[in-house]
Amino acid sequence: MLTIARLFGKSPFAPLQTHMKRVTHCIEKLTGIFDILFKADLEKIDKLSKELSELEHEADITKNDIRNHLPKSLFLPIDRSHFLEILSVQDSLADQAEEIAVLLSFKPLEPLTELQSGLEDLYKKSLDTFWLAKKIIEEIDELLESSFGGIEAEKVKNMVEQTAYLEHETKKKQRALMKKLLSQNHTFSPSSFHLWARIIEEVGSIAELSEKLANRIRMVLELK
Amino acid sequence: MDVELFFQILILLVGFYMAWNIGANDVSNAMGTSVGSGALTLKKAVCVAAVLEFCGAFFVGSSVSETMQKGLIDTSLFLADPIVLIIGMSAALLGTGAWLQLASYFGWPVSTTHAIVGAILGFGVVVGGVEAIQWEEITSIGLSWVLSPVLSAIFSYFLFSFMQRTILYAMNPVEATKKLYPYFVFLVFFVFSLSLLFNGLTNVISLSFPLVFLLALLVGVSMALLSYWLIQKMQTSSHSIPPSASSPQSIISLDKAIKHLQRVHSGAGEATRTEVAMLLSKLRSMSSSLKQEAHFPQKSSEYKTVEQLFVYLQILSACFVAFAHGANDVANAIGPVAAVLDVIKNGAISEVSVVPPWLLAFGGVGIVIGLATWGWRVIETIGRKITELTPTRGFCAEFGAATTILLASKMGLPISTTHCLVGAVLGVGLAKGMRALNLNMLKEIVLSWIITIPASALMSIGIFYVIKMLFLQFFTGV
Repeated sequence: MLTIARLFGKSPFAPLQTHMKRVTHCIEKLTGIFDILFKADLEKIDKLSKELSELEHEADITKNDIRNHLPKSLFLPIDRSHFLEILSVQDSLADQAEEIAVLLSFKPLEPLTELQSGLEDLYKKSLDTFWLAKKIIEEIDELLESSFGGIEAEKVKNMVEQTAYLEHETKKKQRALMKKLLSQNHTFSPSSFHLWARIIEEVGSIAELSEKLANRIRMVLELK
Repeated sequence: MDVELFFQILILLVGFYMAWNIGANDVSNAMGTSVGSGALTLKKAVCVAAVLEFCGAFFVGSSVSETMQKGLIDTSLFLADPIVLIIGMSAALLGTGAWLQLASYFGWPVSTTHAIVGAILGFGVVVGGVEAIQWEEITSIGLSWVLSPVLSAIFSYFLFSFMQRTILYAMNPVEATKKLYPYFVFLVFFVFSLSLLFNGLTNVISLSFPLVFLLALLVGVSMALLSYWLIQKMQTSSHSIPPSASSPQSIISLDKAIKHLQRVHSGAGEATRTEVAMLLSKLRSMSSSLKQEAHFPQKSSEYKTVEQLFVYLQILSACFVAFAHGANDVANAIGPVAAVLDVIKNGAISEVSVVPPWLLAFGGVGIVIGLATWGWRVIETIGRKITELTPTRGFCAEFGAATTILLASKMGLPISTTHCLVGAVLGVGLAKGMRALNLNMLKEIVLSWIITIPASALMSIGIFYVIKMLFLQFFTGV
């Protein structure tokens, strides 16, 4: 009889990784926008931003799909609420990418040589944090194999610590850039200043959310 | 026409059908995992299962069969009218078959064991009244139905927890596996041969308990030594993670060194203190720089190697389950048959009747034919569906279930092997070994306990009256 086969529920961990892939698509699209930020016209950026919204919607669908297929009767090796929180933080990264893209499509960002390279730097650093968090999510297969303990857990713990370090570096960059922006506020129109300030803040948030995601994984590790 | 011959043939046919049914549906529980993980090909799995099911049925099947034959209802009540017992047991077998067909059509997780016990009880109550039932025996059987999945769960929970602590959480899982492998092999062979030899081979030889214990110990140790030799010879890529300075392992070691130095620092004298402080600051900066440049390999294959090693143990435990299953479930088919044949042969109900070995073999053959004609298909399906039961998990679950089943078989308790295995898988799941388990299954199983007994009892009662109507006139005519 197939009783034994029916005992195994649909594991939500593979879909969690699929969702991460969708989030990554959003981030990659955002990188595409940053690449042409000071070169192309607003129409092009607007188009890319709309495409990103589509991708974000796809991620949302996956997220809701996972939530809908996570009945109370499903028994997971980690706490249900922890799992849902990991999913929710992961999804907020896609939202964040969309938020930044929408901000960039409102009006052309006034190019300023000193700030331009600083922003690109900040964005790169912020993404470094994200890539590491993504790598942690990819480690989930191995974590499941080792029941969230052992050498694999130690490895992931170190990755989480490094994510925190990268986030700290990003924040330092963000503050420095903000300081620079404030020091030359007289050259800006108020709307431009507001846009720059918002974007610096939101780009830094990617690193913040990535660190949060890594720490959510840290919570389910079984460490000695 | 000779009525007795007719009933003999009828009961043998129905019994054979039951054995076929068991072979077709339930053997897959044992072998599905090994086929699913690719440890055994389908052909090999079927061959191995056939041999072990037969051995289990033939060597250890007698205690449960005797329970089925005489333990459930008080056969002495039928002394005056043995033909009623013949009809009743036939009705019970037919009723069980009918109920199982219905249940498998709807996909309910019912158990053959529960159905046959319910059916025998049904006709027993109708014919002999409530006092015909051996309530003490029934209570212990009922209790064993609840306890056996729980016991399997406990066994596999502790086995998997132990494996976690010693292997999966180890710094070098492959080395730890190699070290512990012989112990696991010993455990399997020891329990296996103990159950086989102790009261098992009564058909062939009988041994005293100390001798059996010693023999089992001997078998276990020699197999463990053999496995030790084999595993030392085996080439495994144990160094899949290159031992670089920035590996997580060395970072942990460095952290430990810092911790110990701190202890020295707080307890040392003035001169050493400054020196230790210097060392400490050096180590701290080293640790933090290591942590930053630590590169993380995409995926480590340590656990894959562990799983590869456990494939053989999983096959072993699957064989163990097949053996235990044969021992316990053959009774479902031949227990009632034995009762009927006994009555026909002696013309009355004998006080002490043992199940004849040829009948156990007959049941075993029925199971094997069921496996060969239909069961392999179910094994294939199950194998494809439960790939999640990786070798380490599969081993723990199967060992826990098989030990419980054999224990029950020894005590003559008819239990459901499927439910034991479900309990064992849950045990591994509780130890965080499974990705996702559907707990709805538990509700369904408890429901099937409650429904199966009255349902198959009613079926057997109905069939009992039909046969009685058809044949009793005939009998009085004779």
